[in-house]
Amino acid sequence: MSEPRRRVAGLAGLASMAGGLGLVLALAAAPPPSSPTTTSSPATLEHMEAALAADPDNLRYASEYRHAVIRAGAYDRALDFFAKLVADHPGSAFAWLNYGYVYVDKMPSAGAITQVILANDALQQFTRSIELKASWIALYTRGNSYLYWPKVFGRGPLAVADLERAVAISKSEPKRAYQAHAYAALGEAYWRTDQPERARATWEEGARLFPQDAVLKALLSRQGDDLEAFIADQVDRTKRVDTDLRELWEDR
Amino acid sequence: MRSGGRRGAGWSKRAPRMAAGWVAAWMVAAPAAAGAPQGTVSNGKAAIRFEEIGARASARMIHHTRRFHGPKADILEMFTSGGAAVAVGDYDNDGYDDLFVTDSDAGRTCHLLHNNGDLTFTDVTAEAGVGKGNDEHSIVSDALWFDYDNDGRLDLLVARFGTPILYHNEGNGKFRDVTAQSGLNKFGNTIAVIAFDYDNDGYLDLLFGNYFKPVDLFALKDPHVLPNNLDQATNGGGVTLWHNQGNGTFVDVTEKAGLGKHTGWTLDVGHADFDNDGWQDIYLADDYGTDRLFLNNRDGTFRDVTEEAIGIDTKKGMNVDVADYDRDGWLDIYVTNITDEYMQECNMLWHNNGVDAAGKLTFTDLSRETGTCSTLWGWGAKFGDFDNDGWVDLFAADGLRSAGDKNYIPVLLEMIITPNVDFADVNSWPAIGDMSWSGHERKKLFRNLGGSVFKEIAHEAGVDNDLDGRGVAVADFDNDGLLDIYETNANQPSLLYHNVTAEHGHWLELKLVGTRSNRDAIGARVTVKAGGALLIREVNGGNGYASQSSTRVHVGLGAATHIDELEVRWPSGRREKVPLASVPVDHIYYLKEGAGVVTAAAAGFGKAILRGGAKTILRGGAP
Repeated sequence: MSEPRRRVAGLAGLASMAGGLGLVLALAAAPPPSSPTTTSSPATLEHMEAALAADPDNLRYASEYRHAVIRAGAYDRALDFFAKLVADHPGSAFAWLNYGYVYVDKMPSAGAITQVILANDALQQFTRSIELKASWIALYTRGNSYLYWPKVFGRGPLAVADLERAVAISKSEPKRAYQAHAYAALGEAYWRTDQPERARATWEEGARLFPQDAVLKALLSRQGDDLEAFIADQVDRTKRVDTDLRELWEDR
Repeated sequence: MRSGGRRGAGWSKRAPRMAAGWVAAWMVAAPAAAGAPQGTVSNGKAAIRFEEIGARASARMIHHTRRFHGPKADILEMFTSGGAAVAVGDYDNDGYDDLFVTDSDAGRTCHLLHNNGDLTFTDVTAEAGVGKGNDEHSIVSDALWFDYDNDGRLDLLVARFGTPILYHNEGNGKFRDVTAQSGLNKFGNTIAVIAFDYDNDGYLDLLFGNYFKPVDLFALKDPHVLPNNLDQATNGGGVTLWHNQGNGTFVDVTEKAGLGKHTGWTLDVGHADFDNDGWQDIYLADDYGTDRLFLNNRDGTFRDVTEEAIGIDTKKGMNVDVADYDRDGWLDIYVTNITDEYMQECNMLWHNNGVDAAGKLTFTDLSRETGTCSTLWGWGAKFGDFDNDGWVDLFAADGLRSAGDKNYIPVLLEMIITPNVDFADVNSWPAIGDMSWSGHERKKLFRNLGGSVFKEIAHEAGVDNDLDGRGVAVADFDNDGLLDIYETNANQPSLLYHNVTAEHGHWLELKLVGTRSNRDAIGARVTVKAGGALLIREVNGGNGYASQSSTRVHVGLGAATHIDELEVRWPSGRREKVPLASVPVDHIYYLKEGAGVVTAAAAGFGKAILRGGAKTILRGGAP
């Protein structure tokens, strides 16, 4: 049986986004207009791009488009598309966020060093998104991304900072199951920065709020090397990162 | 349809089942069978133990990496720090394998170490005249023993970032530089060289693996000499194939053989008959990009089957060694890469799936499944049956640069993520100074637990040193039937690990001598059936990074007290079954093509005598 894994983009709370996102939320809940999302032909991608161009902050459109791109392996096309999208809509925080996700999506097709470059490119787009709108999803995404960086690169404190902000935002918003991801990730960030007590306290707090969350349960049920291995598995760089945002609308 | 391929496929179906029962029998019977005292038992197997004796044996040589001058000196020094190499060969035909150990800094001499037969060595470099090579524009990087003129004496090739040096063995302990008349005059930044007879004409050819493109690193006209991509570089030195004309000269046939399009950063080259068709194939391990597999077309050319056989990788290939680790009758390949905290490439243990009904050869990487994925920053790695249990084990060197406490990796990261950085430009790379980079890494010894999984035992075996490893040569230096290890280290002393494993299986060693085939019998395949197991070995001409192991074939036999079948397939195509009465186990034999087991004198080893203790009778070695 496979271990539970935390979604990276695991997402996300449109509901938790600060200010003025009601319209976006509504749009995110609706499927893209007659888009055959199980196929990834050029025509399908073109159709989805048109929808996104008309609604650049729509997270559902973007998520489904990116996964059509993954199926087609058309990463460079998607990068070109999002580069133009953010150029046309520089104030669209979620467009920037999804631009970053495309870099993440592309990583499995790249070599180890190119992956580092892609990961850094992704961080830049996530940062731009946060600069425009410090949303739960953007902070969680960037904080979680930092956890993938080997300890030697010193990104752990940056992860802690982002994820503490994400957890704080979630406390001020209506409760959603996906918010548990930020508790799990923040605890892991504490763990990686040699704060095991804070890590466990964070997971316990998350488990009290989200007692059904499998990852939090798994974290709290493990000790020592077993826990270390589980945490390492959450950010295993040899596995494709799950950037599917469907939790967002399935949890409403 | 390749007849060799079909036969191998049939064996592959049977061997694993037979082997399982055979191993169980060995685990029970080993102590009595080997007549050895009880020792530590780990995982149901007796302990493998080595003792480091380099200094005592006068075989500890300190390597010096080439120093450069100028603002980017330390970067060029880093990129050329791979030249700590060792080549094993019995240059004086006395029945004991000798050592040639390289050095790389300007003015430093390489070392020819004569094996005295009692686990001591004598440095005879000066008398032999083979110490040179590190001049103003050249760096010694690798070395190779091979008998290019089939006169019965091992000649010596010294590979360089520069032009190679070919020494002819004069037979009196002296060597003569014959480079000028050999035709080996092409400049290359060579890091690896092997000898093999790719056209089976009876003469050994040479394949050079070249790291940088052919530019003089000491007089850079253009700073764009480093990899243009760190995962898919295309601006490396590729390979150079030299055909031995049989008259003491070599001709560059790289383009003609179909190898000219390869422009990777070749870090190691290996050869073997991967498809069991009797012809030698090639595997190229490339740094910064895709390894390449070329199959022999049997007409003097090769075809690139990389995509269909192994796929395209982006790893940092460092080593090519070959053995049939699971005893299925097909030769497998071990390639080291980088698997460290900051980069999780994983090594590649290419399991040879054999040739399918459509004639297609494929491999599957089973490094994760077998437990051989990680050797940190990998370098040379060699197969060898270190306890003679019938399963080949694996020793792997690692470690790039052990210096100060500060880590170069975060500094390097800043360069890597700089937008539009030009990796090829030496000026883009930050100075390394006294920083370490994947340094102080412990070596790995993987014990083969029966063909499907390995257990890492370096610490308990006494070989987990943390030096900056490079080459690994495996040989039985004291003719006791146990394989020893010589490890070279960059900018550090080399190590000689004497195998002192107390409980071990029976064994057989064979020194093959070609007559119609090349005299070193490189490419010859030995097939042994014993105790229900199928064991194949091929004589190789320098497989493995920065090292050449002994060309003497070593076969661990476990509990088997006799051989059921012994066949040699010579490169000439001749197949010879050796009469079993002539090969009792636990001995070393000379096998001459067309003549079977012969005396040392008949094999051309006039000085061979028994030395170094009473454990071994050097059959055919008595004067």
